[in-house]
Amino acid sequence: MHVIEATNLSKTYRLGKVDVPVLRGASLAVGPGEWVAVLGASGSGKSTLLHLLGGLDRPDRTGDGQASSIVVQTDEAAAPVEVGSLAPAALDRYRRDTVGFVFQFYHLLPELTVLENTLLGSIIGKGRLSGLGDERQRASALLESFGLSHRLRHRPSMLSGGERQRVAVARALMNDPPIVLADEPTGNLDRATGESLLDSLESVRGSGRTLVMVTHDERVAARADRVVTMYDGQVKAAPPVEARSGRAG
Amino acid sequence: MYQALLTRRYLTRKIMPLLASAAVMLSVAMELITWSVMGGFLEELINSGRSLIGDVEISRPQLGIAHYQDLMARLEADELIVAATPTVDAFGLISLGQFRVTECLIKGIEPESFDRVTGFRRSLYWKPLDEPIRKDTLGMDPRLDTDALARASFERREREGATLAPDPEALSKTPRAVLGLEIYGKREIRDPAGFVIDDYLTGRAITANVLPTDTRGGILEPVARRFEIANEFASGVFEIDSSTMYVPLAELQDMLKMDEAERVEAAGQPELVTDPETGEQRFVLPQVVGVEPARVTSVLVRGVDEAELETLRERVRDIYAEFAGEHAAAPPIEQVRILTWEDRNATLINAIRKETALVLFIFGVISLTSVFLVLAIFWSMVSERTKDIGILRAVGASRLGVAWLWVRYGLAIGAVGTTLGIGLALLVIGNINAIHDWLGSALGLTIWDPAVYYFTTIPEDLDAGKVAIVAAAGVVSCALGALLPAWRAAFMDPVRALRFE
Repeated sequence: MHVIEATNLSKTYRLGKVDVPVLRGASLAVGPGEWVAVLGASGSGKSTLLHLLGGLDRPDRTGDGQASSIVVQTDEAAAPVEVGSLAPAALDRYRRDTVGFVFQFYHLLPELTVLENTLLGSIIGKGRLSGLGDERQRASALLESFGLSHRLRHRPSMLSGGERQRVAVARALMNDPPIVLADEPTGNLDRATGESLLDSLESVRGSGRTLVMVTHDERVAARADRVVTMYDGQVKAAPPVEARSGRAG
Repeated sequence: MYQALLTRRYLTRKIMPLLASAAVMLSVAMELITWSVMGGFLEELINSGRSLIGDVEISRPQLGIAHYQDLMARLEADELIVAATPTVDAFGLISLGQFRVTECLIKGIEPESFDRVTGFRRSLYWKPLDEPIRKDTLGMDPRLDTDALARASFERREREGATLAPDPEALSKTPRAVLGLEIYGKREIRDPAGFVIDDYLTGRAITANVLPTDTRGGILEPVARRFEIANEFASGVFEIDSSTMYVPLAELQDMLKMDEAERVEAAGQPELVTDPETGEQRFVLPQVVGVEPARVTSVLVRGVDEAELETLRERVRDIYAEFAGEHAAAPPIEQVRILTWEDRNATLINAIRKETALVLFIFGVISLTSVFLVLAIFWSMVSERTKDIGILRAVGASRLGVAWLWVRYGLAIGAVGTTLGIGLALLVIGNINAIHDWLGSALGLTIWDPAVYYFTTIPEDLDAGKVAIVAAAGVVSCALGALLPAWRAAFMDPVRALRFE
């Protein structure tokens, strides 16, 4: 069983009057509890792939007769979900409950405190601000596990880059999603902080969570179970690490 | 819900929403102040009519209405009518002394019944006061004097004014008169708080000059009579207070030859006859053939509070028609005017009503600019918050939820702006005369000239209904202004929003 099975994904953006194809029949399958790193140069379509997997965007309809699909099955007992065909409300729920996003630039709401940012998904899900005792407890515990217990009432602007990214990871994990999608999570951090964050990400896999991480940093990718590369809008199996190192070197 | 949390944070952490709230505040305050002053002006104008003619006036200028006592009895017997009073109106000249002569409407009244119809006694100016008037914060009004002698003096003046008769202990038995407070140009000796700082009029004698007419309307010799000023009255309407004077009805009837008189033969001239027995010659007066009843030029009517003015007027018409049918000397209904105060001033009142509606409409249109202002500010804020919108969508917020965030934000700005606007309006309206006085003293601006606007103080009339309408309009206009930006936010591509720099 695959947790994520993306097949033949295409996506073209229109820049002015020019169509820019970003994905050209990309396919990717990710198993349960697997950590997959997607390597690729800037503009290779890594982030677009992540957005499609996370339901932030929808793939184009392909004109070549081959079906384009993203099937997600988080549990063997659960029915597989075709993300591309979800109704808007179901897609909102999918983004809230099934996946957790971690972005390169943290993307925390500057007006909210660390605790409120972490709780955001729960607040949206519950539709209320009160009666979130359990959620608050869980958020506090998560933040504490990331060494942020003293920052609960601070605003993002008062945190360092590493701390912000850890808050973003806590937010992504808050609703206990089976899939975490991380887009260059260490791209804005120094090496030591990045390593520390990767440790945090690694720890989230403890409960069998699937992690798809986009990066252009091979050292970061090396932490993953499996590495794929994006090239010309398609996902290719990555060459062995030694070969990649040689090419990079 | 997250919209409430973010609305609260957005409201308190940026200057833009404060600017939007300020815009809403100003337009709400502007609408309320305008409506209050214009509405107050209209209300005061209509109400002030009661202090002059009550609810309905039956009038026949110059020639008058005979048998008015019977008419009054019939009127007062009606369930819709509380009281009726006779008056005689005549334009005349009054000599104020010091070479000052001014034209004036001289009204002959029966003080007691006139008070029942018009509340005349309340309008008397010189009487002891227990509390300072609103603007007299220092309590400097001479009428507040608690000295026993001063109080007794004010009480006497009030009594004489209310009865238009000399006090039993007064030395002078000259008939009394009550003058409008502005006749003497007393604004010149007013304290900025609005009260007259000194009284140098009561006790002074003036001369009233009128031109009587005969029963056919012919002009007779002018008649002058001295009156002692017992008191002054202040109706609040400059036009009335500057040109009206009250004297006892009987005095004016006498001056105008409208009192009861013997009617003689048609020739009406004394005849020189010779006594056939003695041969003496003597004048024989024309033979008295009847009594010419006293006349008044108006009968004023006060209806019960619940009575509609139009209904009351029609009832008075019916009563008059019946009365005229039974008195040959009473003028037929076609020769009298039966009008309410609003009828008498319909042109002015309708003009002010239309002006009020027009000004409100114009300010309403101007207030629409707040819709566009909110729209512009929100459009810019949505742009500024593009990344926030992307984040919200990424963590599961729906399009509708994001739209509601902005509409709710608009409603919050509307509510804050409207609340502040109502507060500002109440503050201005509550102190509008003080502000006006301050503008006058500090900047030399007299925006509200009593000679132009009738009333000596700026009137205001603000009720909960007006506040509710303007408040609802303020909040709704903000929500409307937020709709388009909300729609834009809702349909923003989350991927592009997240990449927004």
